[in-house]
Amino acid sequence: MNADPHSELEAARRELDQVREQLVNASRMAALGSLLASIIHEINTPVGSILSNNETMLRSVDTVQKALTPVAAESKELARAGRLLEMMRGLAEVDKLACERIASVVRGLKTFARADDARPRAADLHELIGNTLKLVGCEYRRRVNVVTEFGDLPEIECYPQRLSQVLLNILVNAGQAIEGEGTVTVTTALEGGRVRISIADTGHGIPPELMPKLFSGFTTKPMGVGTGLGLSISKQIIDEHGGTIDVDSEAGSGTVFHIRIPVEQAGTERAPQNSERKDPS
Amino acid sequence: MAINATPKILLVDDEEMVLTSIRAFLTLETDYEILTYADAEAALKVAESSLVDVVISDYLMPKMNGIQFLARARQLQPETPRVLLTGHADKQSAIQAINDVSLFQYLEKPWDNQQLLLVINAAIERARLYRDLRDKIAELAAANLNLRDIQARLLRAFF
Repeated sequence: MNADPHSELEAARRELDQVREQLVNASRMAALGSLLASIIHEINTPVGSILSNNETMLRSVDTVQKALTPVAAESKELARAGRLLEMMRGLAEVDKLACERIASVVRGLKTFARADDARPRAADLHELIGNTLKLVGCEYRRRVNVVTEFGDLPEIECYPQRLSQVLLNILVNAGQAIEGEGTVTVTTALEGGRVRISIADTGHGIPPELMPKLFSGFTTKPMGVGTGLGLSISKQIIDEHGGTIDVDSEAGSGTVFHIRIPVEQAGTERAPQNSERKDPS
Repeated sequence: MAINATPKILLVDDEEMVLTSIRAFLTLETDYEILTYADAEAALKVAESSLVDVVISDYLMPKMNGIQFLARARQLQPETPRVLLTGHADKQSAIQAINDVSLFQYLEKPWDNQQLLLVINAAIERARLYRDLRDKIAELAAANLNLRDIQARLLRAFF
């Protein structure tokens, strides 16, 4: 039986559209990675300087306090100077904590800016999830409560930057699916030679008519909503890991995405997209 | 170029704030001589005439990047350990630096002062051991030459 040439043409056109969208998304992620690398540089330099100054200041305060202590009782001015020094120490310690918090967020961003994803490497999945949750924290604010139920996982062989893109995409989608307040639950478990990551939200769910083409690359959101990465790219990345991604959703009660990835990658020579990035210097 | 009694550190970063911070920390913690430059070309002029124990450079700088700077510093003072201190997130720059300029250490910003000090001390020790070794080899070579001269004269005297 001969296939309908029009249907074949239509299928080929759809495939081309998908490839085109994937290329556009890949290029967008590469540009985002470069931009992030520059932003990280711009933040790390002053943060490094502040942290260094902070330590130098604390050590200097120590030295002055040691010199002042034996004579502090001699006059009101010296006693007041001692109290001021103690206050300076307290403020410097707060500055240190604040700066370390900035440094921690920037460390999380590095996962998305690194260009060393040419080959799979061992990564701590919980660290990737933690870094991604730090980023979506800006999106969730106090509106979405995050619950993590992590199992005991070994390090897995993966492309960490690309896997983080998938996690970011699903976590951002989960937050956007929740109108008002709600909960996103991230669960991990070891299932034989695979790890499972489940991301559940208490949002509005996915309409049944959209479920069949969820991973097909068709846009289901208005412009400006979502990461722009798309679930089709997420599926492609998970496919490259030799894994699976599937979804359970019920309109009105929420959605759960399940990602399953082998602990070890079968072929380390698979060439991922975006593995090359221009040096911004 | 003469070896300095006090260890000498050459630090290059186009951000004055980094130079100020590291200079203040090292002044508090050590008695090292710290030469700081925001301009890589000016730092190279110093390396042409003055022996230093460690060179520390930022990566992203105008005119030349840290790897280009360290490569030129290596030509001027091959035995001086080179350290790259960078806020750039791309590991490729580190790998390139390690291969291209025989990097002693790669540090990321924001740096940890105590780690920086450990690296500097280790670099100074290595530079001094290397120079001691070079001097001993030169002494041995001179002694060897002297022995050969004595041997030649003895041979001439007896035969």
